[in-house]
Amino acid sequence: MSDDEPVFIGIGEQPSGRYPNRPFMGDLVRVGVAAVADAGLAMSDIDTILLIPCLHSFADQADLVFSRVVEELGLSQRIKSSYLVHSGGSTSDNTIRDAAGLISSGHARNVLVLQAEKWGSAPVNEMIDMLTANGIPREWEKDSGLSFNAVGALITQRYMHASGSTPADMASVCVALRTWANLNPNAMYRDRTLSVEQVLASKMVTDPIRAMECPMLADGACALVLTSAGNARRLGRDRWVRIAGSGGCVSHYSIGQERDLAVLGWEKAAVEAYETAGWGPQDADIAEIYDSYAAVLASGMEGLGLAPKHEAARQFARGEFSPGGRLPTNTNGGLLSAGHTGVGGGTALLTEGVRQLLGRAGPERQVEGATRAVCGGSGGTYMDSQVLLLEGVSA
Amino acid sequence: MTSSNEVGMEALTEPYYAALRRGELVVQHCKACSRDIMYPRHLCPFCYGDDLSFVPASTRGVLHSFAVHRIGSPTGFENDLPYAVGVVKLADDVQFLARLWPDADGDWGGYACDAEVVFRAADAAEMQRRPVPWFGLPG
Ligand SMILES: [Zn+2]
Repeated sequence: MSDDEPVFIGIGEQPSGRYPNRPFMGDLVRVGVAAVADAGLAMSDIDTILLIPCLHSFADQADLVFSRVVEELGLSQRIKSSYLVHSGGSTSDNTIRDAAGLISSGHARNVLVLQAEKWGSAPVNEMIDMLTANGIPREWEKDSGLSFNAVGALITQRYMHASGSTPADMASVCVALRTWANLNPNAMYRDRTLSVEQVLASKMVTDPIRAMECPMLADGACALVLTSAGNARRLGRDRWVRIAGSGGCVSHYSIGQERDLAVLGWEKAAVEAYETAGWGPQDADIAEIYDSYAAVLASGMEGLGLAPKHEAARQFARGEFSPGGRLPTNTNGGLLSAGHTGVGGGTALLTEGVRQLLGRAGPERQVEGATRAVCGGSGGTYMDSQVLLLEGVSA
Repeated sequence: MTSSNEVGMEALTEPYYAALRRGELVVQHCKACSRDIMYPRHLCPFCYGDDLSFVPASTRGVLHSFAVHRIGSPTGFENDLPYAVGVVKLADDVQFLARLWPDADGDWGGYACDAEVVFRAADAAEMQRRPVPWFGLPG
């Protein structure tokens, strides 16, 4: 691989859940310091900071735009660029593409990507109203009364119809994610087990979605450090992660305009990504795919070729994506069990993918020999399907 | 902060709302490329023409998917619970969100994806308050 190819060399993460006493800016700087140390760098080596937005507060988001993080980290006069990237839940994928371009073009040497969210501590009704009021053409469709859970329900209803998946199959997706979360000390539901029976006994919220199939809003923070392969070598790193392939598809703005709610943009996004990587879904060791509802994950698994069409939920039910299964998937517990940290849910999945490929997921959760990861993110009302194919490389 | 889309939009929104308030469903139509458009746009998304008008729509459609709100709703819809929304596709190759009438049992168990639904406006007061399409089961 060429010297200027962008690679991941470090990660940082704060536990997800409800942490009202963990201030937003404190989480950002702590997770940044952790990632830079993990990368074997000094903070002064960072010359570019890319920020993934929070959704809990417009004022806090404005602090990101106004470069407060640079000043908080003592990097004034040192940082060349600090800016916010935003495409909702797919922001992490787009941010990594930005970081990669900045490194390979020579603008940036070492990029710190930062994300923090306080959704778990914010007033839940305000957050839900914010989600409901946006991502819908206000003049035309807002008066229909669509809620965000109904967006998930529309996708789930269509997916179940197209695939013939049962409520138990869909519940089993949540259960598989919980078994991963139980292995992740940073997951919101690290201490709570879940069964299909429990899911099916929970209240119907928005048919066909039950209470235990809805993601729980959480606080959380993640950071990633990228540099060039040449720099990783000079630093004496023993392992890094390269971006083997990338593809994306924006398939709608309004959920009412999605041509096929059981398909979304995954199939189109996959083609380009696998073409650039030169490997296919059969070569993947792990998958980290956006999962704010079970059917979103199922459609992603199928569209990305990781499960046969219409079979993903049933394969979850058979344990094929659980610990010990044929393809470890959402090994941090996903948004559904590690916690829905707003825009950060996708960042946490991506961070977990990099962690696994660096071999740093710990004895309980590390997938042995994991070298190839399929990572997928989706933003807004699942407006886009973004794919990054990652590869672990040893020095 | 309100969306700037809510100001100066009357030329586009009023003919659509007015039709719904009369109990009629219209869709936007581009004269230049003869295509129907939903939701209505400022310029035709196919040819970017701006000679756009509203034409009567087919009142029969296919339900692509649907969701029944039982617990939790956007603010202002609390008293509507339970209620259902669906994505309806018309033969004119347009699709949109719609409210769904309860079935004969007073619930939505009679609905299925890919089954036929028909346009049936709500009462005048509801259409005045919230001008959106309502669809129900045929017959
Ligand atoms: Zn046209």
